[in-house]
Order: sequence, then structure tokens, then C-alpha cells
Amino acid sequence: MMSRESMGCENYDWKSYALGEMALPGRREAEAHAALCPNCREELGALRLTLDTLSTLREEEIPRRIAFVSDQIFEPRWYRRAFRSVWSPNFAAACVIAGAILVHAFVHPAAPDQAQLNAQIDAAVNQAVATVQAKHDEQLQEVVSAYDNRYSEIYMKVSGLVRQ
Amino acid sequence: MIFREVEDRDLIAKARRGDVEAFNLLVSRWEKRVFNYLLRLLANREDALDVSQEVFLKAYQNLPKLDAVEKFAGWLFRIAHNEAFSLLRRRRPETELPPERSADTGGRLLPMELSLAVESALKLLNDDQRDAVLLKIYQGFKFDEMAEILGCPVSTVKSRLYTALELLKTALAPSVLRGES
Repeated sequence: MMSRESMGCENYDWKSYALGEMALPGRREAEAHAALCPNCREELGALRLTLDTLSTLREEEIPRRIAFVSDQIFEPRWYRRAFRSVWSPNFAAACVIAGAILVHAFVHPAAPDQAQLNAQIDAAVNQAVATVQAKHDEQLQEVVSAYDNRYSEIYMKVSGLVRQ
Repeated sequence: MIFREVEDRDLIAKARRGDVEAFNLLVSRWEKRVFNYLLRLLANREDALDVSQEVFLKAYQNLPKLDAVEKFAGWLFRIAHNEAFSLLRRRRPETELPPERSADTGGRLLPMELSLAVESALKLLNDDQRDAVLLKIYQGFKFDEMAEILGCPVSTVKSRLYTALELLKTALAPSVLRGES
């Protein structure tokens, strides 16, 4: 039976080991071999140094954000958009405000505006003036009638006297 | 990490139902990784940015076709890989330049210089090898995930990566970086 040192260095995939792709049992066996084999230790050391050097490459910030613009490819259908908008916080807030306005309108009916008020006053004044005018005309008519009667009586009396 | 995966899954599900904001959030989470992958692969900032834009547009358009939500990362990088290689194939004739040598620093390298040396060393690799290094070392994908992204067998992935590591081992050896050879 061969020892680990004499098994042959070509049996160990040090790149797979250094890259973390070797399964645990294989790793243990490779480590045991490297502990006894200077060539494999040197190979593994050089690989680790290379990987450490590669890891010094600095990651760069993206110069500007990716400008992603929506298109129509799978734009949601109208009923989905409507459903989403119905349940959005903005829509809910708008509903609450609209409800509050409606309740306020029923509890405190709005006062008539100034033009309507003026029209009502004008109508009342016109009606009052018309009533007074009618009463005045009636009284004047009574006076004129009384005068006419009195004049007729006096005329009749004067005419009788003249005939006698 | 688990929470992040769950959140990504949720965002993907929402984006598939047409929620653009969810997709925008997904973009903001992945854009830096995708951009850096493309920046190293294409070695050109403007190209990397333009291709990143294309990648996310294609991802949005094809999101309903994504079979397994948990494979989103690999799927996204497959799109990025395809877009990048499409550009590389188009521009290869006029822009194939000889690889640059590392700067002669004559001693211990500063982090910035080391970073530049790595950038130069990556340019020594061909596109396939560099792609394999970027996906494995900088993006942390497993061999089988890389095989799906690159559309080739695991054996090919390993072959490209191992060859690349040999080249990088030589190019980034301390003696080379110190300018001794």
C-alpha cells in the first residue's frame, strides 16, 4: 500500500482545493498529503498567493445608475392597475377626506349665497310695496267714489232749487 | 444572506407580475456586480455601462421565462456573458491589442499599484479564460453554475480556469511584480 507522500502529487487537484470546490473528504486527504509533500505545499502556497493578489482588485462604483424605464411588454392590465390604485394609501386617504366632506355637508347645510339672499329680499320688498300700493289705490278709489256721490247729491239739490 | 435571497425571490415574483418598482430595486441590488463583471471582461467603462443597461433590459423582458427563481443570479450573468461576448465578437478585429506589461515598480507594491497589476495580468488572458476567472473568483459561482452561465461542460470551465490560473500565477509572481524578471 502506498503512503500519502508516495501516492503521486498528480492525484491532488490543488486548484480545485484552493478555489473551494473540493468536497470535505477529499480536502482532508489533500491536506494530509500536503503536510508531508514540500512540492505540493509550494504549489498550494503559490496558488493562494495568486488568489490573494487577484482579490486586491478593487470593485468600482457604477458611474451612473442603470436608467431602467418601463415599457409595455408586461405592463399590468387595466383592471390590475385599477385594483392596485384602489388599495393604495393615497386613494384610501382621498376616500377618507371625501367622506368627511360629505358628512360635514349633511350635518351643517351650506348657507345660501349672497345673490340668492338679495333676490329673496327684493321679492319680499316688492311684495310689500305691491300690497301697500293696492291698499292705497283702494282707499283712493273709495274717496273718489264718495266725492262723486256727494257731488251728485249737491248737484241734484242745486238743480231742484233752481227749478223751484 | 438567506433573508437577502428570500427578498430577491419576492422581488422577482413581484416584477413578474408587472411591478416595475420591484424590478428597479432588483436592478439597484445587482447593477454593481454586473457592471464590475462587464468592466473586467470588456476592459472599457462606457461599454460596460451600455451593456449593463442592455442586460437589465433583457432581464426585464425575459423575466417571465425564468424557470427557477433561485437561479436568478446565474441567469442574469448568463445574459451578461452573452451580451458581452456579442460585443467582443463585433469589436475584436479593430481593438485586439497586445497585452500590457505590469508597471515596473521596483519594490513592494502599494494597494493601488497591485490593483493595476492585477488589471494588467487579467488582460493577458483570452476572453474565455478571463470570463472564467471573473465568474469564479470575483462573483463566487460554483463550477456547475459557471457551466450553465457559459453554456459549456464543467470540464471546459475547469480547463479554462486552470489555464488562466497558471498564467496568472506566473504574471503575478512576487518576483515579476517587483520587476526582477
